[in-house]
Amino acid sequence: MDIAVLVKQTVDMDQIKLNDNNEPIMDNLPLKMDILSKNAVEAAVQLKEKYSGKVTGIIFGTERSTSTMKEAYAMGVDDGTVIKGYKKSDPAVTGAVLADVLKKSKFDIIILGDQSSDSYSGLLAGILSSELGLNVITNAIGIEIKDKIANVTVESENEDITVETELPAIVSVAQEINEPRLPKVMQIMAAGKKNINIIDGNPDYKDDTRIISDKAPESQRKKIIYEDGKGIDEVAKILKVVK
Amino acid sequence: MKALIFSDEPKNAREILTYLRGKMEMDVISTEDKELPEYGAQKVYFYKDGFVDNLSKFLADHISKNKYDFVFISSTNIGRELAGILSYKLKMKCMPEIFSFEHGGKTITKRFFHGGKTVVEEESDFHMFTVSAGICEAEKTDKKSDVSNINLDKSNYKIINVKSKNTAGTDIRNAKVIVSIGRGLGSEENIKKIQPLVDELHAEVAGSRPVCLDYKWLSEDKQVGLSGKKVRPDFYIALGISGQIQHIAGIRGSKTIIAINKDKSAPIFEECDYGIVGDLFTIVPELVEKLK
Ligand SMILES: Cc1cc2nc3c(=O)[nH]c(=O)nc-3n(C[C@H](O)[C@H](O)[C@H](O)COP(=O)(O)OP(=O)(O)OC[C@H]3O[C@@H](n4cnc5c(N)ncnc54)[C@H](O)[C@@H]3O)c2cc1C
Ligand SMILES: Nc1ncnc2c1ncn2[C@@H]1O[C@H](COP(=O)(O)O)[C@@H](O)[C@H]1O
Repeated sequence: MDIAVLVKQTVDMDQIKLNDNNEPIMDNLPLKMDILSKNAVEAAVQLKEKYSGKVTGIIFGTERSTSTMKEAYAMGVDDGTVIKGYKKSDPAVTGAVLADVLKKSKFDIIILGDQSSDSYSGLLAGILSSELGLNVITNAIGIEIKDKIANVTVESENEDITVETELPAIVSVAQEINEPRLPKVMQIMAAGKKNINIIDGNPDYKDDTRIISDKAPESQRKKIIYEDGKGIDEVAKILKVVK
Repeated sequence: MKALIFSDEPKNAREILTYLRGKMEMDVISTEDKELPEYGAQKVYFYKDGFVDNLSKFLADHISKNKYDFVFISSTNIGRELAGILSYKLKMKCMPEIFSFEHGGKTITKRFFHGGKTVVEEESDFHMFTVSAGICEAEKTDKKSDVSNINLDKSNYKIINVKSKNTAGTDIRNAKVIVSIGRGLGSEENIKKIQPLVDELHAEVAGSRPVCLDYKWLSEDKQVGLSGKKVRPDFYIALGISGQIQHIAGIRGSKTIIAINKDKSAPIFEECDYGIVGDLFTIVPELVEKLK
């Protein structure tokens, strides 16, 4: 089975500091694999282990994305392409660039995350399904494959629904689908030596949005903090109104 | 100006209708809901057995035919799938996950970015949006909408199994008082130790992501946060919750936030109105005594 997994690299958002204006300082932040991309990689590798086949990782990023591809290799991805030219979160552009590369090979299943951890856009699965003319199922918590059919269990609030679809198809995964593995040192070392295919993406970014501001929301909270066993009377008094 | 609103969840559709009311004319497409025609739409369309394929086909035709100026799709699983497909098919770029929309010549929207750490305010000439749940509190209006039913084509996807989950009934988004528990509670057993506070305040119980998803002390529909529910109670009482940014993103609509945490440097104390530093297992019983 030929499996593609789409991997996004983001900055490490936990490391973002704010300047005096409450704006994020984005310089020199460490990069890491998007949280749900990690679940996508784990899901892809598990499918390979269960049904045999090959996993191809694809990142639309920059020169610096090879570190994330190596992480994907260490987790069990066999082959990887880094497409250069990523500038900003723009699902239409990302979709077009990724579709271009995906069209050139035959995949039985294309796996990605449901919503990426920085932008949360969640639009990519739908965009790619239109670009490639494939079925799409999102927010999967389980994938079973029989011949050319996938049974995908999708999580929703009140029920888990199992849907049958023909392959090839696009499946996005939820965080609950698995616990991404921690690669062993040997695998990390081997991954460092593997070849990564690096190509240019030629993305067609348009100047169609202007950022007016990008700031941490200012907290209007009172922030009255009690220590040393104090505060219970005060808080009880405030809560009395509900009774 | 005229907008189409789509949501598979009528509750979200009601919120978006309330939010946009007065700004433009609106039609809405959703699943059967008695109250939806009382939220100010001109036309309400109900569908059954919708899936990505039959819904995207119907919506693409409907949007082109009716020449809507704007399309607002609520951010649910199927909503995001449809937004991706429609933005491609109709060549309308989509701004994702907005929680604020203003239009005067240009469109100005707001959404969380960097995983909820910041809010970006953007100017664009986009016409399609996915709307984050909980954009406002839904309110009815006097005007009644015209209601009609849509017949969708048969879907090519086959549903082969449906397993309902034990959701504990009430929707925490409607709660006036929420007692919310985090990993600091230690175990599922300990829920009974905070139950007297819940009872005393007639509160709903909710929780952080690890509590609802990883440990399953509570059902998944009780998760508060960026990837859970956005709540807006009068009182949100956080017990043993550290207050990571992804959790905070779900509680910003609360009127008053009260936090109890034994770690003085927990980020929740930066986002609360009243905080008590200390062990929740001693503070909660004392608080209950005082409330009696
Ligand atoms: C993509 C993504 C989406 C996410 N979405 C969400 C979301 O929607 N909602 C969400 O909640 N999280 C979400 N998270 C997870 C989030 O980052 C945090 O990991 C989570 O909120 C932490 O939960 P917690 O506060 O219960 O646990 P912890 O961070 O472990 O905090 C436990 C707290 O309890 C305190 N404590 C311990 N014992 C006691 C005691 N006896 N008395 C008083 N205090 C005590 C500790 O001091 C500590 O501050 C998301 C993460 C990712 C990556
Ligand atoms: N630049 C990218 N390169 C490769 N995969 C991506 C990229 N952006 C998003 N993805 C994939 O699409 C998923 C959903 O992203 P999004 O639709 O942007 O929220 C992510 O979890 C990734 O699996």
